[in-house]
Amino acid sequence: MQTPEFQGTHLFDRLCWAKENLDGVQSDYRVVYEDSIDECAKILVPDPNWMACALQGGILPPVQVYWELAKDEAKPDFVKHTRGHLLHNTKPVEAMTEEQAIEYLIMKDCPQHVWRNWNEGNKPKMVICRKEQLPSTREWRNAWKITEELSVTELAA
Amino acid sequence: MALGKIKADTLEHSTAGSLDTQYVVKGSAKAWAKFDTDAVIDEGFNSSSVTDNGTGDFSLSLTSSMSSSLYIALTTCGNAKHCQSSEGSRTSSLGKILTFDNSHNANDVNDLNITFNGDLA
Repeated sequence: MQTPEFQGTHLFDRLCWAKENLDGVQSDYRVVYEDSIDECAKILVPDPNWMACALQGGILPPVQVYWELAKDEAKPDFVKHTRGHLLHNTKPVEAMTEEQAIEYLIMKDCPQHVWRNWNEGNKPKMVICRKEQLPSTREWRNAWKITEELSVTELAA
Repeated sequence: MALGKIKADTLEHSTAGSLDTQYVVKGSAKAWAKFDTDAVIDEGFNSSSVTDNGTGDFSLSLTSSMSSSLYIALTTCGNAKHCQSSEGSRTSSLGKILTFDNSHNANDVNDLNITFNGDLA
């Protein structure tokens, strides 16, 4: 199905179109990351409707738009967004592969200090894996950590 | 596919009176999600991901952001446990749902539901 020309259309309206016209895509990918040494590993799971939008193309704004809004929100005098138009008026991104969509999602929904420096330090702070690679039960969930035995070589393999 | 458009300021019923369409726009939920502890969204709208932060602690990221962090996030959960939306780490594009056992200790529970009401950016 062809995506309508959406630049200038409110992002919420685009999502309404997607919900009506696209089937959700449940991804098997999971993003495991640690954003604090004092906390357990967190697990990010993509939304199937969002993934469908990413694979379709022409719906989602560039990820940099979210960074701009986050910068605004971090200002001490922030009250409400005045640049929300960036979400709606910036040219939407083209269709992505599932792997590209996961990279986009990491840059959107994971803390920047995690993904920008994911491989600095004694071990990786972030890992993309398949859901089958996660523990099968939630026993000791608050003690889950990325293993220290994981190496970048193994990741590349 | 062309998008149809109806522009109206008021909806009028034949006998029950009229309603400003702003009530509909302002009053509609802007995002919602239903998921279990596996953080897989079974049904949802306007979210990009769920993050499992640990026992009884999940967050939902939005695709189309709210105008600020001042919005209503309503939560419910199953199995007669307790849940609440957390304001502490809330932003215009991220809301949290915390779940507890009957002694108010963090506890995992399935059938988590959250909706966001307020203004979009």
